[in-house]
Amino acid sequence: MKVLMPYFHRYRRDVWWAMLSVIVLVFATLWQPRLLQTVMEAIIKNDQQTVFQQGLFLLGLAVLGIIGGVVNTIYSARVALGVATDLRADLYAHVQSLAYADVEKFSASNLVVRMTNDINQVQQIVMAGFQQITRIPLLFIGALILALVTMPQQWWGILLMMIVIVLVAGLAVQRMTKYFAQTQQDIENVNTVARENLMGIRVVKSFVQETSEIHKFSQASDELTNVTAKIGYWFAILMPAFFLTANLAVGTAVYIVGQNITTHPTYLAAITSFISYLMQILFAVINGGFLMTFASRAFISLGRIGEVLETAPSMTYVAGDDQPVAGDVQFEHVTFTYPGDDQPTLKDVSFTLKAGTMLGIVGATGSGKTTLAQLIARLYDPGSGVVKVGGVDVRQLPEKALRATVAYVLQRSTLFSGTIAGNLRQVQPDAQTSHMQWAANIAQASEFIERLPQTYDAPVEERSQNFSGGQQQRLAITRGVIANPKILILDDATSALDARSEKLVQEALNRDLKTTTTVVIAEKISSIINADQILVLEDGQVSGIGTHQALLKTNAIYQTIYQTQKAREEGLS
Amino acid sequence: MSDLKIAGKYYWHYLKRYWRGFLVSIVLIAFSTWCIVVAPTYLGRAVEQLTTYLGQVTHGSQGSLAPFNHTLIIYILLYLGDASTIFVASLILARVTAFSTGTMRVGLFRKLQRMKVQYFDTHRDGDILARFTSDLDNIFNAMNQALLEILLAIAQFVGLLIVMFNQSATMAWVTMASTPLALIVAAVVMRKAGVAVNRQQDDIGKLNGYINEQITGQKVLITNGLQADSLKGFSGYNAKVRQSALTGQIWSGILNPLMQGMSLLNTAIVIFFGSWFALNGSLSTGAALSLVVVFVNYAQQYYQPIMSLTSLYSMIQLAITGARRVDEVRRQDDEVNRAQGQEMPDIQRGLKIDDVHFSYLPGKEILHGITIDVHRGEMVALVGPTGSGKTTVMNLMNRFYDVDTGAITVDGTDIRQFDLQSLRAHVGIVLQEPQLFTGTIADNIRYGEPDAGMDRVIDAAKQANIHDFIESLPDGYDTRVSDEQSIFSAGQKQLMSIARTILTNPRLLILDEATSNVDTVTEARIQAAMDNVIQGRTSFVIAHRLKTILNADKIVVLRDGRIIEQGSHAALLQENGFYAELYRNQMVFE
Repeated sequence: MKVLMPYFHRYRRDVWWAMLSVIVLVFATLWQPRLLQTVMEAIIKNDQQTVFQQGLFLLGLAVLGIIGGVVNTIYSARVALGVATDLRADLYAHVQSLAYADVEKFSASNLVVRMTNDINQVQQIVMAGFQQITRIPLLFIGALILALVTMPQQWWGILLMMIVIVLVAGLAVQRMTKYFAQTQQDIENVNTVARENLMGIRVVKSFVQETSEIHKFSQASDELTNVTAKIGYWFAILMPAFFLTANLAVGTAVYIVGQNITTHPTYLAAITSFISYLMQILFAVINGGFLMTFASRAFISLGRIGEVLETAPSMTYVAGDDQPVAGDVQFEHVTFTYPGDDQPTLKDVSFTLKAGTMLGIVGATGSGKTTLAQLIARLYDPGSGVVKVGGVDVRQLPEKALRATVAYVLQRSTLFSGTIAGNLRQVQPDAQTSHMQWAANIAQASEFIERLPQTYDAPVEERSQNFSGGQQQRLAITRGVIANPKILILDDATSALDARSEKLVQEALNRDLKTTTTVVIAEKISSIINADQILVLEDGQVSGIGTHQALLKTNAIYQTIYQTQKAREEGLS
Repeated sequence: MSDLKIAGKYYWHYLKRYWRGFLVSIVLIAFSTWCIVVAPTYLGRAVEQLTTYLGQVTHGSQGSLAPFNHTLIIYILLYLGDASTIFVASLILARVTAFSTGTMRVGLFRKLQRMKVQYFDTHRDGDILARFTSDLDNIFNAMNQALLEILLAIAQFVGLLIVMFNQSATMAWVTMASTPLALIVAAVVMRKAGVAVNRQQDDIGKLNGYINEQITGQKVLITNGLQADSLKGFSGYNAKVRQSALTGQIWSGILNPLMQGMSLLNTAIVIFFGSWFALNGSLSTGAALSLVVVFVNYAQQYYQPIMSLTSLYSMIQLAITGARRVDEVRRQDDEVNRAQGQEMPDIQRGLKIDDVHFSYLPGKEILHGITIDVHRGEMVALVGPTGSGKTTVMNLMNRFYDVDTGAITVDGTDIRQFDLQSLRAHVGIVLQEPQLFTGTIADNIRYGEPDAGMDRVIDAAKQANIHDFIESLPDGYDTRVSDEQSIFSAGQKQLMSIARTILTNPRLLILDEATSNVDTVTEARIQAAMDNVIQGRTSFVIAHRLKTILNADKIVVLRDGRIIEQGSHAALLQENGFYAELYRNQMVFE
């Protein structure tokens, strides 16, 4: 709730209009039975004048009710949308200010859910809030007071009715909560079986296990069916019980009125309005119960949103010059552990990379290659030790200066939807076509880009789906080199390229980006065989560093990797 | 066929077996409606009797409350009748709803197991899964809430009309007078809401798409310093959603207060005219009063059915769409299995792929006349660039798809002559993605033969070089495998799936790029396990990395759906063609 207050404050005019119109609406609803009572009394007295006058009042009141309802909807929607949109914008801006480690901590898909579903929940409860939540207590209290005013000595009947309803509801809710938890579990089980079968349909079919899978699914599904049936039975009790209670209360009230009619003859005209008020009380209690369950879901969402907003970025940058620095890279006794892990991913890594040279990194899956590269781009900060770029601790570099120095191309760094030129200009805002051609030439992308009807203005679909894997990687490299960075990291970024294109990319890098330091992470030794230095990682530690020839002689791990990729025939190339 | 018609047929299919339940429910609901509609007349009569009594008492004569009490007892009995019949009807309908959706769910799953693999290849898993989750959910919700409400609303409306006209035709017409206005208002608002909500959903979809793409690519945003750019793009989408969602929310939110207002207005009209009739008509004061009381009650009830139907509208809409989507799956083709197909025999001479043409989509042929001869016990490797048709050959051998023309034969018999289950039981495959199932490691290894004993499980694991690893786990073979949080690496999972295939002792083995997701050192380890399986079996190995197939008896090079080279490794290198180029690309040379 604390999270929402500033937003309500921002839309306080709309909030006031929504509240005011609710009061008008409640007034119209509650006053009608009162007027009816006056009309009935007038009929008994045969007072034509009053009947006519009060009748007009009634019509006016109804119109007032409609206006109140419509105005309330409009302003509730304004508040709900205003709050939701602003909250979403603030959430998005906050996520953009977070460090990558923070994004990882929540996980990207989880953050997306918070910005879409959770915000939607909040929007709905705010809307319902101004339509219903203010109205229900008002209706309840108003109806209660008016009922008591109408027939004061019936207070115990009303009280008894409410107690019975609350008891029945409480009992049912208690039982149903258990079943609801059970349902969640059962739904998950059903979905797991279904999902596994979808993903493994070829396995199921080739092992001829269709029948046993159907049996497995039926069991999970039957459990779900039985629980939903039980919940259904409880609901079946609930509604009739509520209405029966209310109608019994009405019957009792009328009976008592009848027994005392000689002492309170005016009650005769009050019967109908009293019944109306009783029903209003009943509806208020039922709707209140429903809204409470609805609201509890929204409060969970609100909590999840608040959690993100309260997360302070775990990484800050110093202010200063945004000019790029030199292309040297230095690791000094760097140890790094991912948040939540107990084992470090990098252990005491040290090496020096001179500006303009090329470093290759090899090692098994999970040996820490990508982690090492990410520290250069400062996606994370090391636990201990120092990473230096251009001779400066990366933690002392202003954000813009660091980004201008280091370009990082990932294996799956697809372009964003839009156009090719739009993506390239995000990195190099003033890039002309000639400059884009230069970058695309290096990445061996120009041949297919120029064959596209709209060349550089060709559309890029979501997840770059309209390009093949090799084309996507070449586009990503184009984006990586367009700003002529001092340091270029290719993190398995040529895995989908054939050997010839890969060789051409490396030759172009050597020719056109002579002063650029390149860091290449690769699975294939052939991709890094010509590097100035090759770093072999094993379990996060530097197992060896040197040229291909030197490592072949001295490093056992490098030898093993080499063996698995070595041609059987010598000298075939 | 319109969605409504499809949905109608779908529900008819699943609900017709519950006709007794529906019949009983309808009778009960009719009775309860009668109770509800009649009850106010007793209240009216009670008021009338009370008025008479009061009149008698005030005029000094001896009145009696007995008729009043009597009426009141009937009044209460009516509501008791209403509550108990509604209770029973709800019970029945809750049962029907739960069990019919259960049947729909299992029916959908059964269908999935029978369908052609093509369907799964051409539809995203998420989209199919959504039919189990959101679509069946929408169907359940609608049945759960709408079934009873619709029946009640119709019964109440009809009942109300009958009783109103019985009481006083004039007053009935007065009560109904505002109906056309209400219907027009409802129709206009609902149409507007439909259009506005569609636009709103469109814009929300675009916004969510943008958020999803950007946040998923957060690494790219950060490393390129594009956060401010991203925020700017977001603001545009967000502002658009604000506008269209505001319109959507207002139009869809306004219906309820409008209808409630109409109901209020209607009550006012009834009171106004009712009292006028009471004063100017020929009725006694008591009768007139009772008439007003009764019709005020009716006026308040009159819009209830219309209101509950309109509030159910969007829910029903979702259930219709849901039924259409589930039914779409239901109407897909089943796999073709010959009636009385032969049992697949042991391979005596060999297997032949004979001039096979195949296309996934009509008119777009993928394989253009492939012929491969395999002798019993031989290992054949299929290599070629992505999209050359390697995996397609595997799809045909297991009959995940059937050939367009040509045939695949075992000892001269077309595999389509065999019983599908028998064929698949004897053809073992190891796929690129090692898909394991929730359960223990042992369950996964004996997946193909659930009755296999532990000795066979361990034996298979040993052959797959994974036994020692499994034994090193605290729970050994009872370690739980779960899809979500896997404690196993891709390599370990692949070894388990190899063990799973070994256990079934297949006559023909297909390895489809089984090592393409691991590094080359892990690959060498898996290779050793695969050599154990291939030993003495007729096998097809589809390879991305050539290192794994150097020992094949025959290497078939595919390109664009045609065989361009064929022979042993040495022979193909000698040829110095496409294969030799591929080989040079992948390997390092001194």
